[in-house]
Amino acid sequence: MAQFTLPANSRIRKGKVYDAAEGGGETRRVRIYRYDPDSGENPRMDTFILDAHRSGTMVLDVLLKIKDEIDPTLTFRRSCREGICGSCAMNIDGVNTLACTKELADISGDIKVYPLPHMKVVKDLVPDMSHFYAQYAGLEPWLKTQTPTPPDHERLQSRKEREALDGLYECILCACCSTSCPSYWWNSHRYLGPAALLQLYRWIADSRDEATEERLDLVNDAYRLFRCHTIMNCTATCPKGLNPGLAIAKVKRLLAEREV
Amino acid sequence: MRSYQSGVNRALGLGSAKNGFIAWWRQRVSAVLLIPLLAWLGIGLALQAGADFESARAWVGSPINSVLMIATLAVLLFHTAVGLQVIIEDYVETEGLKAASIVLTHFVCFLLTIAGSLAVVRIALGS
Amino acid sequence: MTHAIQTVEHTYDVVVVGAGGAGLRATFGMAEQGLNTACVTKVFPTRSHTVAAQGGVSAALGNMGEDDWRWHMYDTVKGSDWLGDQDAIEYMCREAVPAILELEHYGVPFSRTEDGKIYQRPFGGMTTRFGQGTAQRTCAAADRTGHAILHTLYQQALKHRAEFYIEHFATDLLMDDGVCRGVVTLDMNTGIVHIFRAHQVILATGGYGRAYFSCTSAHTCTGDGNGMVLRAGLPLQDMEFVQFHPTGIYGAGCLISEGVRGEGGYLTNAKGERFMPNYAPSAQDLASRDVVSRAMTVEIREGRGVGPKADHIYLHVEHLDPAVIHERLPGISDLARIFAGVDVSQEPIPVVPTVHYNMGGIPTNYRGEVVQRRGDDPDAVVPGLMAVGEAACVSVHGANRLGSNSLLDLVVFGRAAAHRAAEVIGGRGKPHSPLPEGCPDPALQRLERLLHAKGGKPTAAVRDEMQHTMQNYAAVFRTGETLDEGCKRMDGVYKSFEDIAITDRSLIWNSDLIETLELENLLGCAVTTIHSARNRCESRGAHAREDYPERDDQKWLKHTLASMAPNGQVTLDERPVHLNTLTDEVDSVPLQARVY
Repeated sequence: MAQFTLPANSRIRKGKVYDAAEGGGETRRVRIYRYDPDSGENPRMDTFILDAHRSGTMVLDVLLKIKDEIDPTLTFRRSCREGICGSCAMNIDGVNTLACTKELADISGDIKVYPLPHMKVVKDLVPDMSHFYAQYAGLEPWLKTQTPTPPDHERLQSRKEREALDGLYECILCACCSTSCPSYWWNSHRYLGPAALLQLYRWIADSRDEATEERLDLVNDAYRLFRCHTIMNCTATCPKGLNPGLAIAKVKRLLAEREV
Repeated sequence: MRSYQSGVNRALGLGSAKNGFIAWWRQRVSAVLLIPLLAWLGIGLALQAGADFESARAWVGSPINSVLMIATLAVLLFHTAVGLQVIIEDYVETEGLKAASIVLTHFVCFLLTIAGSLAVVRIALGS
Repeated sequence: MTHAIQTVEHTYDVVVVGAGGAGLRATFGMAEQGLNTACVTKVFPTRSHTVAAQGGVSAALGNMGEDDWRWHMYDTVKGSDWLGDQDAIEYMCREAVPAILELEHYGVPFSRTEDGKIYQRPFGGMTTRFGQGTAQRTCAAADRTGHAILHTLYQQALKHRAEFYIEHFATDLLMDDGVCRGVVTLDMNTGIVHIFRAHQVILATGGYGRAYFSCTSAHTCTGDGNGMVLRAGLPLQDMEFVQFHPTGIYGAGCLISEGVRGEGGYLTNAKGERFMPNYAPSAQDLASRDVVSRAMTVEIREGRGVGPKADHIYLHVEHLDPAVIHERLPGISDLARIFAGVDVSQEPIPVVPTVHYNMGGIPTNYRGEVVQRRGDDPDAVVPGLMAVGEAACVSVHGANRLGSNSLLDLVVFGRAAAHRAAEVIGGRGKPHSPLPEGCPDPALQRLERLLHAKGGKPTAAVRDEMQHTMQNYAAVFRTGETLDEGCKRMDGVYKSFEDIAITDRSLIWNSDLIETLELENLLGCAVTTIHSARNRCESRGAHAREDYPERDDQKWLKHTLASMAPNGQVTLDERPVHLNTLTDEVDSVPLQARVY
């Protein structure tokens, strides 16, 4: 059965409080989910109290500040710090997003940071992404053609045909969308989730790709595609402003065109 | 125990059934059909408000109304069966329990369709 | 809590370290040829910093006007201030055309021209007819070309069923009597150390921008391959050449593509003047990056910077058609809004020259094989070791890289390395001779020591000192005095690493340990950079010495080699620049003054 309560070993304990404010000014409380796989203990919520004016601009700045100055064991993924690599996806203030582009000023009250929901947690804010990546790989997300490749020039594509890829190819595989989707929470073992389905549609929409039949067959399944119930959390949460919900709807419409 | 199954193996699972569209389509089509049918039923019942037993029975028993009544019942219960199946698939993970629940809901809806239809037929034929 | 480190062994034909553009291209190139290939990467491949490249990738396709790869070669040699090896530059510019067409065939979503071909935009330093006109040579996928290419290359790697070890941090090379025999990695997920034996190790570990305080580079750009090479006793080349990108967002440091100026953007100072014509009368805002960065720095120093502290410059695009911005520069509009709070259709973007690219790195030939000076032979190959991408110094970029030549470098030399490795290895599954007893031990001891380090200085503190030292003493303009002081300070920071402190003792996802390993690599890069810079008494490309303002071809037309002893002692040597071309299809570009 789908689980509606946390298993005993996932219940969150009260954590430590680190008061690093230097006194005087306004403070900001940052509450961060911590899980130490070595200890065997349940996860906890640690609280870090910082000077509001010295916390930086983005949530990632705060996390880095805490790691550099208060607790070097705080663990999270990060790389580009400009919203293009997709490493620092996490649940901030109740919404899945990228820590590097989430402004502190947009959060009122405490800053609450959790790992992406409903994923196995490796440590602190680092979830195990391997299943998500495997689902992507399983879609065979590469250009497939039958027409021979022109030996000495590019495949031609009109500007309009290329425009069909806008809003699709920009996906950074951060998994914010998939891990915000209740269907993915309950059925990620069979449902591919919005990120993978957006990528599937990216190839279907590509005028150069000649494997639409195969791609549609691959997802014509009550679980793989049709677990999408157009809840639209995916679109609401996408930090790149993409619309996976629409892409999924377009795949469904293509199936309808093919079958009806 | 640790599994050594590869991630892609787990992600691919049993593969695509290649028939997912049809159930989704039926749910959509039945929903669309229910819009006029339920509208008809609602208006019909509203007009019968305050009527006595005999005139209500006569309303149901009229040829057009009895046909539409059976159609409404059938589509409604069909939609119910398909919809419940989706909910069961969403929330029941154990394969045996899931299959049994789906068969059971479909069968119950099927029985209700027969029972309801028979009742309308009996009224229509005046037996 | 302490743990004993466990080890696992593997044997492969080739191990590629790094999964950015160059690493991925090399990986599936070899998988394609049937070699047993493993790619080890510390981040999931699409998180590599290639993803952040914006403007495009150069190739003389001639889709939008006349072009010739020989002109591209001329521009690259001139851009390199003649420090680039012309045989390698010829190879890169000639192979650019098939390499980019190949990318398109893999599925990269390039923007298109009216007749359906790959869209090309003008870029700094790219000209036609040997400097006469402006070339449209930079192939673009809007302003997300790196993202488009990296994702496509990863997809091709999936297609060729390449084997990945993801979130494995490579710590050291396995060296056996001057031959590279493999590499040691730490699986971040489990803390298990993997010992890879391979006939060829290909380092594709990228640059070391994080040696500086303000850079466009990702947190993960920590020169890990360079650090491993230094620890293996091999030299790095031309480390003094650090490119400052003219347009990093003021404050945040995020890159704003040169493509913005390619599409018609321009820079102004506090008086609202377009100052670039004073510095580069013909190329103006599209002069080469070192020239623009110096011009901006001069403007700021002479009090004509903008902002309350007069310490930055404005980049204008508000005069461009919103449709052009929407179609060709959507990403930078987002970046400017998020990181500078600027609506590019209304206001200029505040920018400042920001560390962006390392021309220097692991010396290689045009096939990707690592070379060193051995006796009289300045081009002696180090058997078993190759390097590609920003980690390598082929050297195609010489003293200054032209914008959009970097993505080109990745795909051309990634592919070349794959071909060369296959040639050298000569077939799948050739047997490996056993590793000498204790070969991985130094690597294991180093890990063990750092994991339990209980010194007085946290990693972040040492890193901060290094970054500020480099930022202050090895910047756009340098003098002998500041470099002397900088060398002294950097040597001190390097020494302070002995007193490093780690808090996290876990073996599972110990990012404290990983950052410390990265810091050690960065320190090697930083120390060799500043010592090489002090040594080179001339101004060439990105290395601008105020005390030696002229290029001096008599004395300094040569590559710097810097190696480092474990105690941080830097030894400098040199290699000649290849002024010869590879074939007779093109003439060598003769030395001349570099004016834009």
